[in-house]
Amino acid sequence: MSEPIVKYNNVTKYFDDLMVLDGIDFEIQPGEKVALVGPSGSGKTTFARLLMTLEEITDGTIEVEGDYLWHEEDSNGELKPASTEHLRKVRSNIGMVFQHFHLFPHMTVLENIIEAPVTVKGIDKKEAIKDGKEMLEKVGLSDKADTYPAQLSGGQKQRVAIARALVMKPKVLIFDEPTSALDPELVGEVLDVIKDIANQGETSMLLITHEMDFAREVADRIAFFDAGKIVEDGPPSEILYNPQAPRLKEFLERFMSTQASPE
Amino acid sequence: MWDWNYAFEVLPEIASALGVTISATVVGFILALVLGLIWTLLIRSSNKIITTVADSIVKFIRNTPLLVQLYFIFYVFPQFGLSLDPFTAGVIGLGLHYSTYLSEVFRSGIESVGPGQWEVATALNFTTKKTWTRIILPQAIPPVLPVIGNYFITMFKETPLLSAITLVEILQTAQNIGAGTFRYTEPLTIVGVLFLLLSYPASIALRQLENRVTARYS
Ligand SMILES: Nc1ncnc2c1ncn2[C@@H]1O[C@H](COP(=O)(O)OP(=O)(O)O)[C@@H](O)[C@H]1O
Ligand SMILES: [Mg+2]
Repeated sequence: MSEPIVKYNNVTKYFDDLMVLDGIDFEIQPGEKVALVGPSGSGKTTFARLLMTLEEITDGTIEVEGDYLWHEEDSNGELKPASTEHLRKVRSNIGMVFQHFHLFPHMTVLENIIEAPVTVKGIDKKEAIKDGKEMLEKVGLSDKADTYPAQLSGGQKQRVAIARALVMKPKVLIFDEPTSALDPELVGEVLDVIKDIANQGETSMLLITHEMDFAREVADRIAFFDAGKIVEDGPPSEILYNPQAPRLKEFLERFMSTQASPE
Repeated sequence: MWDWNYAFEVLPEIASALGVTISATVVGFILALVLGLIWTLLIRSSNKIITTVADSIVKFIRNTPLLVQLYFIFYVFPQFGLSLDPFTAGVIGLGLHYSTYLSEVFRSGIESVGPGQWEVATALNFTTKKTWTRIILPQAIPPVLPVIGNYFITMFKETPLLSAITLVEILQTAQNIGAGTFRYTEPLTIVGVLFLLLSYPASIALRQLENRVTARYS
């Protein structure tokens, strides 16, 4: 098997005295799509935000393509906290799509998408516009290039946010409940876009979701979180149809019974 | 009582001093904008010492009278080897004083930008500097432009204070004329009218800007 693209080693996270992640080991292989499921408050978001460097790690290490994310090795091979420069270098492999989109309200849709390639990567503006338009086509919003985010529906906003993350060509793309803030009738269009990207293959994905059907369709693996630990981790068929851990069985039962099927 | 001939005779001289008043306002305000933004960024620093020091300086300046500060800069600084001409001293005084108000305005503008914008900037790997210049400030400033404009007009109307440190702006010019002829009514009235003629249209323009901003950001 090839080297994992992401590797969590005994990762622990505290918020003050509250332990939120409890010594987690976890790997993502290149191109692999992993869904994270579990009860609210079990630590899924925090787990992903550590990888995006939006929360600071308390203990343990995370490696991205063999480089430490939060640490650097000094000349003696000892780990010390990463410099801003090192953090930025490793972070450039990771992208994230947020529950609440966070589009730049002062920029048009196309400007939203080309902003980071031009400002962060220094890509030529003409080229960035070309890439940006291609990406807009991919998410089905070519006609909205010159629109401001305030004029878009939630589903359209999220598709722009996905395009904006994708043009940076991250090796790992995190989705944190990308459809939870959407009206039910807009969920489908966003999930379809994510499925498309997933089918194109090369990007690894970390998908936090409550949409079990979606997880089953898209994910190569599902990891079940409970109380800051990954309690069970395996292919969708195992996790969904042959759960072992009592907490997972409970979760799935509760989920299936409260989740009114939309169709 | 009112002598039109005399009024028209002194008008050109007073009006010619408008240049000093306006340039003191403009230069002072630019200084206030730059310093104000610097205070805001220093106060937001993650270094506790920097934050405390900057915050104390701002509070001190904001809570002492501008006139006292002007006297200090003009009459006390020379004792420490820093002699400034009235215009420079006046502009520094105005700029410093108003920077503390503008710092507060910038702070409220910046706080109105949600944490999600900072997070997405990190996720897209923006540097701190680019996060400020491309993401945060372009959202923070437009909504507070009307307030900033208000301070501009207020500052303009406070420039006569600079006559206290011997700057010959329009009030000082009028006073000088009055002192020579013993007629103050016309020169002082002209000063008042000139201020009104400039600040009233400015406040109307500002009202329009405010309406545009409200329409855009609500
Ligand atoms: N910034 C924070 N400060 C303090 N506690 C937090 C913070 N973020 C999350 N938590 C707590 O960490 C726990 C895990 O939260 P989270 O990672 O959001 O879980 P999930 O995404 O699975 O719902 C919860 O108890 C939550 O209240
Ligand atoms: Mg969450």
